Amino acid sequence: MATPEAVISFEQAVKDYGPKEIGPVTFSVGPGEIVGFLGPNGSGKSTTIRMLLGLIKPTSGTVRLMQRDPLADHVRALERVGYSPELPNLQSFLTPRELLQLTAKELGLGRKETDDQLPVLLEDVGLIQYQEYKIAKLSKGMVQRLSVAQAMMGSPKVLILDEPMIGIDPAGVVKFRSLFRDFVRDGGTIVMSSHILSEVEALCTSLVVIHSGRILFRGGIQAFIRERLGSRSILVEIADSSAFEGGALVGRISSLAGVKRVSPAPAGLLVEIAPDSDPRAEISRLVVETGGNLVGLGYSRSELDEAYISAIRGTPAQ
Amino acid sequence: MRASRVLTFARYEIRRAVARKKVLALVALTVLISIAPYYALYATHTSLITPPLRPYLWILGVFLPQAFFLQFTALLIAAGSMSEEYEQGTAEVLLSKPVSRQEYFFGKYLGGYALVVGIVVLDVVLSISSATFVFGPQQQLGIEPMILLAQVFAALVFYSFAFMVGELMRRSSLSYILSASVFFTSEVVGVFLNILYTLTGTNIYKVANYYLPTSPVDSLPLLLAEPKFPSSVQLVFRFAATPVEPSIGISALLIAVYFISAVLIALTYFSRMDVAKRVT
Repeated sequence: MATPEAVISFEQAVKDYGPKEIGPVTFSVGPGEIVGFLGPNGSGKSTTIRMLLGLIKPTSGTVRLMQRDPLADHVRALERVGYSPELPNLQSFLTPRELLQLTAKELGLGRKETDDQLPVLLEDVGLIQYQEYKIAKLSKGMVQRLSVAQAMMGSPKVLILDEPMIGIDPAGVVKFRSLFRDFVRDGGTIVMSSHILSEVEALCTSLVVIHSGRILFRGGIQAFIRERLGSRSILVEIADSSAFEGGALVGRISSLAGVKRVSPAPAGLLVEIAPDSDPRAEISRLVVETGGNLVGLGYSRSELDEAYISAIRGTPAQ
Repeated sequence: MRASRVLTFARYEIRRAVARKKVLALVALTVLISIAPYYALYATHTSLITPPLRPYLWILGVFLPQAFFLQFTALLIAAGSMSEEYEQGTAEVLLSKPVSRQEYFFGKYLGGYALVVGIVVLDVVLSISSATFVFGPQQQLGIEPMILLAQVFAALVFYSFAFMVGELMRRSSLSYILSASVFFTSEVVGVFLNILYTLTGTNIYKVANYYLPTSPVDSLPLLLAEPKFPSSVQLVFRFAATPVEPSIGISALLIAVYFISAVLIALTYFSRMDVAKRVT
């Protein structure tokens, strides 16, 4: 059930395409969240986003954006919302400056507001020196940057970003992360669909996972990992581990609460733990106490990846 | 509906249409058709152009593109107006902003139509200038604004039809083919019906011809202009076309019925249907 302050809410929303049905979709997003919207190709992410933007009409159920119906009350619902589509195809005959001016006019911004915002946004996304180039001449990554810039025009309160990091170089990814965090710090809300789970893990505060048109999960990232993973593994890296006599250490780690099994690994030890436990501090202390030279300690694989794959397969990871 | 947003989309549509090479090519062709006949007539020293005809030769350039090039240019501008936005995936970005579908629809419709009007005006200016330059001062120019209005009003039929087909099909190639097919079929069927009527004298062929979409489009400007000129000038009008419709009123009514129907169908469809994701 949507909370009264939710900026986005779906209540049993269904889109029936005939041979395929998306929904019923029920979830809400509160202000200040950065929500990762995950799901495999064809799972219904884009349809859900397009219902939210009032571009397609749900067959049944309700959708609210800024507490308004995005279809019936499209203008007011979208007043403070920015959208960057997946693989944006922007008007190739315009320049970045002209595209942002067009966006400003659509938003009803005055000349001064436009002139104030435009260079800042182009600078933020790293396109200030390309502002007079035709969009047709820009690279895929630059078009992606421009798409995010047009979404951020007009100081929106909500950003809906469909795969915003595709085609962006590493420096751009870092810049975008910072841009999005600042946006949320200033009171904004972001819903971001992505297949790059490391990006979601780094940026998002919560998740919505959709598969075959159904919402599989809505909540925090850690809660998702706990729910989906039966166990997690910590890799304990010890310098010159072959020479290190680790029998005592294995016994002491095994006795820690939450530890299921300890086994040798090429660089040290692999410690399997219960998903709701975190004995990393104790393990590091024990390694040092037993004379080991600890060089690294961390989860052995991307937990979100594992949890996500487990959710999509429908079984807990082993 | 906010006028400022409609204007924004109208300007955008003009810019978009002008950026398309095929539209530019057709405009260039229309310009050529407006001025080339004067220089051709002058160069050939034809005996058809007697001195009494010379002050009225501006009519030739104004009416020559009426039956084909103006309609085809209107059709080409309109057919891609909606469909290309779907194909290029730009419709969803434009419509994800706080603008209503009606603002978008009418902005694009009016923008493309303004371009058509601009082309008609260009044709008129070039025709009068060329006629004056080649054959000396022209007469009866006071009637030109009325002819211009009739031409731009008549252009609404195929402009609106192609705009509607573009929205319904959402594929530019299909909408070009279908719109152009209807246009050419109407022209050809009109010629056949006219021949059948001339040969048989059967009234049904004449009446059927009234309702073809090309008939009022071709007839209205001619019906308005012809009575204002001396009978000796009628030869010049025959270069363009022969009016099919019996009256100005019926021509205007048929044009209005055709274009309003097309606009209403397109608007209803666009308002109710989902905004398609990029299609190729």
